[in-house]
Amino acid sequence: MEFKDYYSALGVERTASDDEVRKAYRKLARKYHPDVSKEPDAEQRMRDINEAKDVLGDKDKRAAYDALADRVARGGRPDGSFEPPPGWDTGYEFHRGPRQGPADHADFSEFFSSMFGDAERRGATRQNYRARGEDHHAAIEITLEDALNGAERELTLRAQSLDAQGHPQWENRTLSVKIPPGVHPGQFIRLAGQGMPGHGGEPAGDLYLEVRIAPHKLYRVEERDLYMTLPVTPAEAALGAQVQVPTPTGGVVEVTVPPNARGGMKLRLKGRGFAGKTPGDLYLLLEIALPPADSEAARNAYAQLAQATSSFNPRQHLGV
Amino acid sequence: MANFSSVTTTTAIGVSHPLAANELAHACGADTAWVVQLVEVGIVQVTTTDAPPERWEFSSTDLQHALEARRLERDFGVNLDAAALILDLQHEVRRLKAVLRANGVD
Repeated sequence: MEFKDYYSALGVERTASDDEVRKAYRKLARKYHPDVSKEPDAEQRMRDINEAKDVLGDKDKRAAYDALADRVARGGRPDGSFEPPPGWDTGYEFHRGPRQGPADHADFSEFFSSMFGDAERRGATRQNYRARGEDHHAAIEITLEDALNGAERELTLRAQSLDAQGHPQWENRTLSVKIPPGVHPGQFIRLAGQGMPGHGGEPAGDLYLEVRIAPHKLYRVEERDLYMTLPVTPAEAALGAQVQVPTPTGGVVEVTVPPNARGGMKLRLKGRGFAGKTPGDLYLLLEIALPPADSEAARNAYAQLAQATSSFNPRQHLGV
Repeated sequence: MANFSSVTTTTAIGVSHPLAANELAHACGADTAWVVQLVEVGIVQVTTTDAPPERWEFSSTDLQHALEARRLERDFGVNLDAAALILDLQHEVRRLKAVLRANGVD
């Protein structure tokens, strides 16, 4: 396991005040916000700074982390790897209060989980605290076909459970997740009882998986709509045609291309996107594919076309 | 470290499996009073505002908005009115980016 330097993640000195930690976090959180950031590693950086803030922004966690960092500095391993010394956190209590927001820790590093995950729970147990376990949040990326048709997928999670002595422990848990047909991107799948264990005999929390759709070679997903590029020949576009189009659920439908269709024109297949209260549509973006002039007959045909349409100037708007 | 496999009951949050107000609150590490505030500022939508909170039903989109609002509160200390505005702007940015992508401008 790698020792995480939370101070350098936030770019602050170890002597930084709470206010300096908060300011540094907010500045970086804006810089790496996924909606505005142009940095290629924005998502990972955002996770790192969130984790660093969770520890350095909490008086008890920060004190325990500082004490641990000192011990590591005195007796670190040459390869930089790290195992927490037994009982390293004696004398510190961490406790997630009921109003501390979503338990986002699923995204945090192994280092964080082994340091603070267990300790938070022990803190809760010591205080005779009774509450349902926290819900956990994670994302699951599935193929478009699985989203539309439903599927069963294995998912490995780091999850907390209690050992025979009732002590919390982390384990890798493989879950078989049934994906109901028709889930759309951004929808949450709820796995009952797969969140954090309950406190004081109360039931476990749930796990919420946010559905993400993996990039597809034919279809692009925009909310509930699907987009596909549909290549047509100049003759099909000019004269109109019936063409066959594959649908994401596996079938083939016949689509009418209207006469005088242009490249970039959008044809809509209503209700062929994701299901829902307002079902999404499948959009076909027309793209004119030119047949190659690689035979005498093809060259003659192009020459005849040029002759027949000699008054057509595609560069008229350029003034030439 | 144990490694076991189990089949779990899964439900997709939506029209046929909505979230109750207390479930939405629990998923966000908050309480029902907070969900009432979300409804008041319009971060989440209820179809029947005159029904009591116990009868409210929420969708996946509501859960997503509520989680985002909770993070804005926690990480930036914003109030819920400002969070509602930030979320509106954020969704508009995402919508416009999608329009750009759909027109081949990235």
